[in-house]
Amino acid sequence: MARGKAKEGDGNWKKFIWNSEKKEFLGRTGGSWFKILLFYLIFYGCLAGIFIGTIQVMLLTISEFEPKYQDRVAPPGLTVIPRVLKTEVSFRMADPKTYEEYVAGLNKFLKNYDNDQQANSIEFDDCPDEPGDYINRGPFNNDQGQKKVCRFRRDWLGNCSGMLDSSYGYKDGKPCVVVKLNRILGFKPKPPTNDSLPPGMMGKYNPYVLPVHCFAKKEEDVDKIGTIEYYGMAGYAGFPLQYYPYYGKLLQPKYLQPLMAVQFTNLTYDTEVRVECKVYGENIGYSDKDRFQGRFEVKFDIKSS
Amino acid sequence: DDHKLSKEELEEKYTTSISKGLTSARAAEILARDGPNALTPPKSTPEIIKFLKQMVGGFSILLWVGALLCWIAFGIQLAQGVASAFDNLYLGVVLALVVILTGIFAYYQEAKSTNIMASFSKMIPQQALVIRDGEKKEVPAEQLVVGDIVEIKGGDRIPADIRLIFSQGCKVDNSSLTGESEPQSRSCDFTHENPLETKNIAFYSTTCLEGTATGMVINTGDHTIIGRIASLASGVGNEKTPIAIEIEHFVHIVAGVAVSIGVLFFIIAVSMKYKVLDSIIFLIGIIVANVPEGLLATVTVSLSLTAKRMAKKNCLVKNLEAVETLGSTSIICSDKTGTLTQNRMTVAHLWFDDQIYSADTTQSFDQSSQSWATLSKIVTLCNRAEFKPGQENVPIMKRVVVGDASETALLKFAEVILGDVMGIRKRNRKLAEIPFNSTNKFQLSIHETEDPNDKRFLLVMKGAPERILERCSTIMINGEEQPLDRERAEAFQTAYMELGGLGERVLGFCHLYLPEDEFPDTYPFDTDSMNFPTSNLCFVGLLSMIDPPRSTVPDAVSKCRSAGIKVIMVTGDHPITAKAIAKSVGIISANSETVEDIAKRLNVPVEQVNKQDARAAVINGMELKDMTAEQLDEILINHSEIVFARTSPQQKLIIVEGCQRQVNQGGDGPCHLNPTVFQDAVVAVTGDGVNDSPALKKADIGIAMGIAGSDAAKNAADMILLDDNFASIVTGVEEGRLIFDNLKKTIAYTLTKNIAELCPFLIYIIASIPLPIGTITILFIDLGTDIIPSVALAYEKAESDIMNRRPRHKKKDRLVNEQLAVYSYLQIGILQSIGAFLAYFTVYAEQGWLPNTLLGLRVNWEDDYYNDIEDSYGQEWTRYQRTYLQWSGYTAFFVSITIQQVADLIIRKTRRNSIFQQGLLRNKVIWVGIFSQIAIALILCYGLGSVTALNFTPLRVQYWFVAMPYAILIWVYDEIRKLFIRQYPGSK
Repeated sequence: MARGKAKEGDGNWKKFIWNSEKKEFLGRTGGSWFKILLFYLIFYGCLAGIFIGTIQVMLLTISEFEPKYQDRVAPPGLTVIPRVLKTEVSFRMADPKTYEEYVAGLNKFLKNYDNDQQANSIEFDDCPDEPGDYINRGPFNNDQGQKKVCRFRRDWLGNCSGMLDSSYGYKDGKPCVVVKLNRILGFKPKPPTNDSLPPGMMGKYNPYVLPVHCFAKKEEDVDKIGTIEYYGMAGYAGFPLQYYPYYGKLLQPKYLQPLMAVQFTNLTYDTEVRVECKVYGENIGYSDKDRFQGRFEVKFDIKSS
Repeated sequence: DDHKLSKEELEEKYTTSISKGLTSARAAEILARDGPNALTPPKSTPEIIKFLKQMVGGFSILLWVGALLCWIAFGIQLAQGVASAFDNLYLGVVLALVVILTGIFAYYQEAKSTNIMASFSKMIPQQALVIRDGEKKEVPAEQLVVGDIVEIKGGDRIPADIRLIFSQGCKVDNSSLTGESEPQSRSCDFTHENPLETKNIAFYSTTCLEGTATGMVINTGDHTIIGRIASLASGVGNEKTPIAIEIEHFVHIVAGVAVSIGVLFFIIAVSMKYKVLDSIIFLIGIIVANVPEGLLATVTVSLSLTAKRMAKKNCLVKNLEAVETLGSTSIICSDKTGTLTQNRMTVAHLWFDDQIYSADTTQSFDQSSQSWATLSKIVTLCNRAEFKPGQENVPIMKRVVVGDASETALLKFAEVILGDVMGIRKRNRKLAEIPFNSTNKFQLSIHETEDPNDKRFLLVMKGAPERILERCSTIMINGEEQPLDRERAEAFQTAYMELGGLGERVLGFCHLYLPEDEFPDTYPFDTDSMNFPTSNLCFVGLLSMIDPPRSTVPDAVSKCRSAGIKVIMVTGDHPITAKAIAKSVGIISANSETVEDIAKRLNVPVEQVNKQDARAAVINGMELKDMTAEQLDEILINHSEIVFARTSPQQKLIIVEGCQRQVNQGGDGPCHLNPTVFQDAVVAVTGDGVNDSPALKKADIGIAMGIAGSDAAKNAADMILLDDNFASIVTGVEEGRLIFDNLKKTIAYTLTKNIAELCPFLIYIIASIPLPIGTITILFIDLGTDIIPSVALAYEKAESDIMNRRPRHKKKDRLVNEQLAVYSYLQIGILQSIGAFLAYFTVYAEQGWLPNTLLGLRVNWEDDYYNDIEDSYGQEWTRYQRTYLQWSGYTAFFVSITIQQVADLIIRKTRRNSIFQQGLLRNKVIWVGIFSQIAIALILCYGLGSVTALNFTPLRVQYWFVAMPYAILIWVYDEIRKLFIRQYPGSK
């Protein structure tokens, strides 16, 4: 528009920021600014109050002992320790620096399983040393105070307990990983029926153990994977049921979930070997989207020199 | 200078022969040199440029930047081997798609409206009769060249600028060129220095009404007078429409907010030790959240809906954005003929027997008088106009007539009162006739009488009253011939002045029975030598005609007045006529006076009258010619009711420019701005002639007449009035104002949720919580659930009496002003955000993540290899489980925004009135909007919940209601605000 050329000029900007005639700053007088700011202070104050109020009301509807819904967290994930970047365990046998990260991870995790951590008999319960049935400890509330938890002895993990070999087999090129089933409050894993297990696992079936099995992910790795040693309670490669159900952080602050360990004693070196471990159970699920639900994958790349 | 040359000089100059014309070879040569005889069409922008413009206009640039950043992030992450890299690729693609699709949509809309226009400009190729090689040939007018000899006859369009060599009763209609509606005679004589005024030149694109002529082509194509005007029109640049400026302003505000918040948080993120790449991704999210992607499409749809609605009311809008311009109009410069009036001469008054009678359809005058019988006979016989055959069943007033306007009026008048005019004419056979011409200013014919016993011939004559009176020696009073003495002559003068003062065209009628002895049966009447008496006739009476105003116009003008719009009449007519029409339609109101009126009343010279006292002014084109711009401004400022009469089309442009210099007092309050700095009047101009096109272009909104308008005018205009009716403009103004109000509502509605989309990102960055809403989900709100409701707001009815407001002030009353932005962003938007956050926290808490656990969780939460994060209950979550929960959070946030947008939609229906006053049911489309919104949300949530890429999950039913209290709160809060506005209007 030709007549839009009438310039508003730079003076208008300065005048807008500070108009000395009307004593206006950014188009408002001090009093006006004060009122506006006061309004927003009160307004936002009220809003914050309302928000916190509604959040509190919402929290009132939620029990502190058990979550309202668990459909997103169950079925549980299977976690491998040490936690490794890109699920790749890659080290050089001769160089401890290359695996010290894994060792540290295992040490840190297993520290809670040391005997001296489990001494207190108020918190800890002597559960049977053989796999047994679920131990029900009453309703999910603190009417009976805190619930006891079963002890889990670190030495059950044998060569992978770090008590016999502080490098968990890494210095010999026989790496250990510890496996746990993710905690889910109130979850009672159901062991599989005997016939639904893959061949090769049939032998060590126990009705009170949730078995774990590892195998080569890819067909061509079958030969490279070598022997796999499993360690767990009473030599069972799996999770015994007496540790379930879990009663939550508040009722079982010291809860130790059952572990098992896997050692790869004869891996082919200087090549990538992909291993998958799976836990089997009737209420254990697997998903294409979630590759850590009921299973995990680890890639070994061990350099011999 | 061709009009000054003699025929021989012309032949020499153009090396042609008047008798034989050019040779074909020579003609081809000249054609090759000068190009075809056609106007160069105005340069149109190439389609691809138009398309690309849509691709980069508005927010598109911002979104392109977003898409580009996405791809860069994708590239980097891919190189780093990050698993979620492809999310960024998809997002970039989606953003690009959004830009391209909205661009295509806008382009399509524009193309559609352009196509409507294109159909208007299609013309049938014209043929011209030309003499070449000594033979008459029909050639397409395009192939005419300078020097061609062409023949034209009545009804032809003049094929080029022609210097006449031979003419027989040739009359042309120059109205498309000069705006003068009177036919002008054309001869071979050089009569005026100015080529535009001289009689021996006929101009390209004008029409030959009657007679025949031969002429030599002297100018072709763009060199013709019309071509020069047309290029003048294209020289006046197209000005940006107010709504375009508003939308630009709005885009600047939003883009400014988006970029500054984006950059601010980029800096914050970087200084909080986030990775630069992550910060870039945040930046993208902030931009996407801030930009209302669907809004521009919504605005286009709203405008085109209004355009359609206006087309139904006879306003065809060429340029979508002009819809709103009309609403902000503060001055309308209107033509008289055809726009304010019916463009149909009608007999208004009669004078005979010393008395003035009104010729209203109610036959109130004394038809028993012998004088009336005589007068009616003259009216019937001395008239060359005829009805076209085959119209017996058509009402008389609507029949098509061959003949000029005055004769048509007389014919229809006679037919209505006497009936069977053609029969009367047949019984009174016409023996001789002299048609009207401007030198003798009368028309005469001689008839046999229908009385077989009366062998006398009857001579009847009509013409300019004073000329007729000169030829009379007697006057008929009550059927008796009486001598025409001074007293009678004065009575005639009084009546003539009175009728003339009403702005009516007056004709005098007289007759004479020729003595039988002098003019026997066989008397050879010769019209050239006039061998019959043409003086000492008997004067019978006067008839006056006027082009009456359209019945709807006075109402429309008063509406304009209450809407603060100044209506200025610009006409080529005589000031008296113009003033009379202006008074009758209310452009000059009944009690206002012009300077001349005051002078007359006070009996003082015009110079002594204080010009400030006169509300009205009638300005003659001759006065205007000598005025400076300042004087014109003074007139426009001092008088509220202005009529420009006898203006030439070129002066129209000057008037429009003058109007545009005016200050629009708009807005609700007074305007303190310096009038010399701000020039804000929005001027609408109507026009029909070719010569109006510069004014139409120059005006903020040019309105062409659909029936009477020339193609050039239609091309130059922004809008076309299909029924040529001024009242339609007022309807248009109303629609324009409504759409501005409604767009404001749409924008307020759209901006509100932007905060609810933006806050999640800001909280995400600052408090490191899991991301509450994803970028793609935001796009689904902006382009999914929100689109139909925002269009629905365009159907909202006018809130208060929209036509009682002053016109919008172009610079002060913005589409998006501070109040609107602040209220949407800082109040309702924040309310919405916390409502949505409540839903977010509820979903997480009920799944085991209490709000306090979430704070600071982001880094671990987003770690792809952390598969056993503990929640508040000690449960351990894998990465995917967390992601899936995050999507549930997105969905809950999305659903909450949707629910609260329903409340937002309802509060935006009105700006001041309570929703109870406006009524919830009046705008049914709003309900369609609400239902569509919820339906789309349901489909996304439950139907597409399984499509991973969209990040929706099926949501528990109760989460739909979590934000409901906030929706109600929004509504209650807004009702309270509106209550305060109604109680304390005008407070800041």
